[in-house]
Amino acid sequence: MTDTRLLLETRSLTVGYGERIVASAVDAAIKAGELLVLLGPNGSGKTTLLKTIAGQLAPLHGAVFLAGKDLNTVSGSDRSKKLSLLSTERPAGELMTCREVVSAGRYPYTGRLGILSDRDREVAERCMERMGALELAETPFDSISDGQRQRVLLARALCQEPEVLVLDEPASYLDIRYQLELVEALKRLSREDGLAVVVSLHELDLARRCGGRILCLREGRVDRLGTAEEIFAGDYLEKLFSLPAGSLQNTGAPEGFSHYVQSEGKRLRCGYTTGTCAALAASGAARALLTGAFPESVSLVTPKGIRVEVPLEACEQDETRAACGVRKDAGDDVDCTAGALICAEVRFRQKPGVEIDGGAGVGRVTKPGLDQPVGAAAINSTPRRMILEAVEAVCRTVEYDGGLQVTVSVPQGEELAKKTLNGDLGVLGGISILGTSGIVEPMSHQALVDTIALELRQAYALGHRRVILTPGNYGTAFLREQGLDAFGVPVVKCSNYIGDALDEAVSLGYEELLLAGHLGKLIKLAGGIMNTHSRQADCRRELITAHAAVCGGSRELCQALMECATTDACLELLEREGRMEQVMESLIGEIGKHLQKRAQGIQAGAMVFSNERGLLGVTPEAKTMTDRWRMAAGEGK
Amino acid sequence: MRRTVAAFGVLALVLALLLVLNLNMGSVSVPPGRVLEILMGHGRSDTAGKIVFTIRLPRLIAAAVLGGALAVAGFLLQTFFANPIAGPFVLGISSGSKLTVALSMIWCLSAGRTMSSAGMILSAFLGAATAMGLILLISGRVRKMSVLVICGVMIGYICSAVTDFAVTFADDANIVNLHNWSRGSFSGMSWSSVRAMLPVAGIALILSFLLSKPMSAYQMGEQYARNLGVDLRKFRVALILLSSVLSACVTAFAGPISFLGVAAPHLMKRLLGTAKPILMIPACFLGGAGFCLLCDLLARTLFAPTELSISTVTAVFGAPIVICMMVARGRERVA
Repeated sequence: MTDTRLLLETRSLTVGYGERIVASAVDAAIKAGELLVLLGPNGSGKTTLLKTIAGQLAPLHGAVFLAGKDLNTVSGSDRSKKLSLLSTERPAGELMTCREVVSAGRYPYTGRLGILSDRDREVAERCMERMGALELAETPFDSISDGQRQRVLLARALCQEPEVLVLDEPASYLDIRYQLELVEALKRLSREDGLAVVVSLHELDLARRCGGRILCLREGRVDRLGTAEEIFAGDYLEKLFSLPAGSLQNTGAPEGFSHYVQSEGKRLRCGYTTGTCAALAASGAARALLTGAFPESVSLVTPKGIRVEVPLEACEQDETRAACGVRKDAGDDVDCTAGALICAEVRFRQKPGVEIDGGAGVGRVTKPGLDQPVGAAAINSTPRRMILEAVEAVCRTVEYDGGLQVTVSVPQGEELAKKTLNGDLGVLGGISILGTSGIVEPMSHQALVDTIALELRQAYALGHRRVILTPGNYGTAFLREQGLDAFGVPVVKCSNYIGDALDEAVSLGYEELLLAGHLGKLIKLAGGIMNTHSRQADCRRELITAHAAVCGGSRELCQALMECATTDACLELLEREGRMEQVMESLIGEIGKHLQKRAQGIQAGAMVFSNERGLLGVTPEAKTMTDRWRMAAGEGK
Repeated sequence: MRRTVAAFGVLALVLALLLVLNLNMGSVSVPPGRVLEILMGHGRSDTAGKIVFTIRLPRLIAAAVLGGALAVAGFLLQTFFANPIAGPFVLGISSGSKLTVALSMIWCLSAGRTMSSAGMILSAFLGAATAMGLILLISGRVRKMSVLVICGVMIGYICSAVTDFAVTFADDANIVNLHNWSRGSFSGMSWSSVRAMLPVAGIALILSFLLSKPMSAYQMGEQYARNLGVDLRKFRVALILLSSVLSACVTAFAGPISFLGVAAPHLMKRLLGTAKPILMIPACFLGGAGFCLLCDLLARTLFAPTELSISTVTAVFGAPIVICMMVARGRERVA
């Protein structure tokens, strides 16, 4: 929309009833395509302001301008062709079908007796379709749910073909699914149709989701006008609603999912993985297929132990299948799959048991060495287990013991996959369904480094002088396997920020440091790369190839190594050539050197493993360190 | 759509049947063939002709028009108060008219003058408007419809009591007529009264029909109507004036007629399956006319030659319907 006309403007507007002033000195302007949210405590004047803007109340002072004209001089009929109000008044729809209610919005366009023309009917039909209310058309208005009613009323408001849409607390009484649906609808109307939308909300999460500017009213004054980021920053909202500090600690997250990673002064919101989404969607679809109705929301407990509850989207079903989607929430993490819809379709199947496969937008494994065998859908083992558990749980509750076929798909998957390394890894046709903990911990650089630093500091403060660093969940699992978690040495996850973590540990004064990680990550250290995020640098194949060449590998081997999708595949090749141990030794030596160099003055060792092969190698420092730990633990017994 | 056509078809048929029955039934039965002749203008001079043409025909037209007008007045009030139990009789508006008409009649008679039809309508309108004003005042204070209805009934009682008091102490031969009228009756309806009521009721009915578009918007709620560009103040005044004129017209000529204003719109809503004013106003007119014709027929013939008052009959049919509606409403939500 290039149309950016100023559609609605208030100039030093004072609103109220008779002598009683409710809000004053309101100056605001809304352009076409803009969405403005009104936020404020009860009694702050939101409804009165909206009523005045919508021409229901005369202003006490100042004026409202609708498309440049003083609202006082605009006739009721002209106003209603430009501005539509969805108020909190519960409309009486005696003996009216939803279609009749929607058609009532054609009022300003019909003749003396209000008889609908073909065009009026067409517009009503289109508006119902737009708002997803078409299937309700012939249903009596009195018999539909609150959520459906709001859809119908929104269609009715649109039926006036307005340029400005004013909504007074449209989300009240709606469940989370309809609330989100409403916000999406409003965003679409402003962005796609170029409507100027003014909406008052009580729900902070929804206000944030609207993505537009937020006007905060407090005690009859405009307290602040700004973007969601500005309004939600710091403790402003607590002040706005006169709440004790800290009251809103947990309300930042939409959809009721709010788990935070805490670090000095910063809170980062966690999200959930594509695997969690797929399992949730599969659970919802299975329930719909077996019971005939989609649940309002679905939930599961992730392997990390955190419960995730989400609404379902894109629900559809017939007798043989049910499908629905869950939107991925990456929290504060920068992730290309954030906001993507992960769908699952569940069908009946002849054979018993649950079969899981990937559909459109989910990649397929074409090269060896990944979590899944060649030819399988790129749905990793943890997500597969989560899907299976979720679907089986549904089967158990409804006592169904037949077979089910689950197909996971990602509508935008193929497009999204271009932004990932999937192509290089040999996963083609879409993204991978991933996640070992089910939860995405945010990875913004500074915050994460702060978190790592904080953890290191805490452990140090508790008297620890030894520490284990590991990039992520694979590492902690490996440490458990190796029994290295049993010595009381604190384990700090450092994600990709190995260099930062080392610096912090050194400056704090740790004496011994063990770095344990997957070859795919730690191999980068052999090249001196201390931030192992794939955005920073890759070089994994190059390093293996170089070391293989140094160890006397043939040209063919080197060429083949450069073709490999993952480090695991490289190892397989080296093993076949009988050079794996040699090359690993060479690599580990180099990793150790770089580690020592960065972690000057303390004992630092590295331990490298792969998921398939387990322990691949340890640096001499690591060997002496762990032996000492084991011995100390043994003596202690 | 099909239902609408069928509903209006049924209404027209019933109405036609009642028209015929009203013409040929009574203390003197006149065969339909003879009735037709009389209507065509033949043989109006004999007894049967006189009965049909000068007594039954004007009475029938009056019953139909006034019955229809009362039902439409009821529908307007129901829309105004957003409540199906509202009606001219229930809210005491008919009784208000009754009082002013009785008082002005007594005053005229004692002054040795006869009242013109226009004078009757005017005084009835004054009474209706006063009662309406009172009800509006009360409705500004109490939101509960049940309380409003009780207030209406009480206003009705007060008006009736004052009327009875006035009638009791008025010393005139016409007191019998006045007494009859004050109980509600179509007897003694003449062509001149028909000529007087037709334009008033006709214009008010047409204006009501023209109000059906804003009424449909108003039915959804005040804010919706205003949002659609309805000038609520003008609309409300029009609605009040029209319903007052319509019910005043009825009371001026036939006295207070109970419950028809509530029962007929309710039955029509059921019949049509919609509350759309554009359909409801014509349907209410037809339905009210039919209802009134039936009741008048019964009033005339049940205990002939003794005539019942029309309200006695409408109450028997109408009051149970109103009770049922109140019970149904009470079940839905505690009003």
